[in-house]
Amino acid sequence: MVLKLHGVSFSTCTRTVAVVAKELNVPYELVNVDFAKGEHKSPAFTAVQPFGQVPYIDDDGFKLFESRAIARYLAKKYAGQGTKLIPTDPKEEAIFEQGVSIESSNFYPSAIGFGIEKVFKPMRGLTPDEARAEEHLKTLASKLDAYDVLLGKQKYVGGNEITLADLFHLSYGQLLVQAGQADLFESRPNVARWWKEISTRPSWLAVKDAA
Amino acid sequence: MVLKIYGFPFSTATRLVVFVCKEKQIPYELITIDLFKGEHKQPAYTKFHPFGQVPYIDDDGFILFESRPIVRYLLKKHASQGTQGLLPTDPQAEARAEQALSIEASSFDPNVSGIVAELYFKPQRGLSTDEANLARLKETLNEKLDAYEVILGKQKFLGGDSITVGDLAHAPYGTLLETVGQGEFFTSRPNVARWWKEVTSRPAWEAVKAECVL
Repeated sequence: MVLKLHGVSFSTCTRTVAVVAKELNVPYELVNVDFAKGEHKSPAFTAVQPFGQVPYIDDDGFKLFESRAIARYLAKKYAGQGTKLIPTDPKEEAIFEQGVSIESSNFYPSAIGFGIEKVFKPMRGLTPDEARAEEHLKTLASKLDAYDVLLGKQKYVGGNEITLADLFHLSYGQLLVQAGQADLFESRPNVARWWKEISTRPSWLAVKDAA
Repeated sequence: MVLKIYGFPFSTATRLVVFVCKEKQIPYELITIDLFKGEHKQPAYTKFHPFGQVPYIDDDGFILFESRPIVRYLLKKHASQGTQGLLPTDPQAEARAEQALSIEASSFDPNVSGIVAELYFKPQRGLSTDEANLARLKETLNEKLDAYEVILGKQKFLGGDSITVGDLAHAPYGTLLETVGQGEFFTSRPNVARWWKEVTSRPAWEAVKAECVL
């Protein structure tokens, strides 16, 4: 049975799973969750995903949520095909894990925070909290300074080869670009080089606007 | 060479690493980095940790930072000793343990750390609590823990019926939440209360609280 990805085509987390599936050459079927109708909060949905969030996968009956956990599961299950996304050598794997954690603790919170104010709120006709947006931007700037140091010593966030750690930046990075903040990447030489590489991969181009 | 942990005894991330070391009976040396003096932002430190945060480890020359990768690395390296099953190897059990760790990192940590910051760290630094932000964080945490209550009514722990590192990861910030008088988040929910008591009454966690002091 083909992998079912229950999500929303333009959702950041749904597209994260989609880009990973593409890198691994894993076919999937996007099963649309109707946000407008509140389907993600329905009993049928929350029976699988108690937090009422997208996406979740149904892999021949095995259900899993949290996009980064789904990505790991797929990368391990399909390790023999497509791009190798998780190293197997213990120390390389540890550095990969470090990269994944850097994304989730040092990039994601401010990126999504800024995205909520300057992209999602306007989309829903709400007024952004400019002070909060400004704070997130400041945090991002200082975090990306550290990224520039890191990416001067290693090619990618998780080591010298591309891994899930890099792919996890794509959806939120794109949100920042959409909100007019491409300069965050472009003004830092090592970050610019890395961002250009990962954001022009065919797998991302295939799903960046729709999973 | 014994594992070196460069951290701060009250830092939640440092405490998670110590917690796992105790569970796995891994000897370690905790070297205190003085956060109050800004030691974590000095070049001697940022040379090893470009984000200037605690902790990082030096495992016989191998440097690693970010507490969740550190504990994963230690769990895999010392798989055969100490508490078993904290990071399962069966693909589906492993996926569920990863799901639990991800829930902790995305649904628990940001809200709890935000509440603790508003109630404790900001006043400590002479800043005033942002009441609107605090209210929002509490509302979100309540929603998240309502989902935990459902999950923990069906299974013993967050990743299944056995304890995994995803459960342990809640101990440091959850304990801090109790310290700032917000324990009701746990006690008001029967399944969450049962789970929370199990996780935090582990001898290894009691040992962390006793040992990780200034």
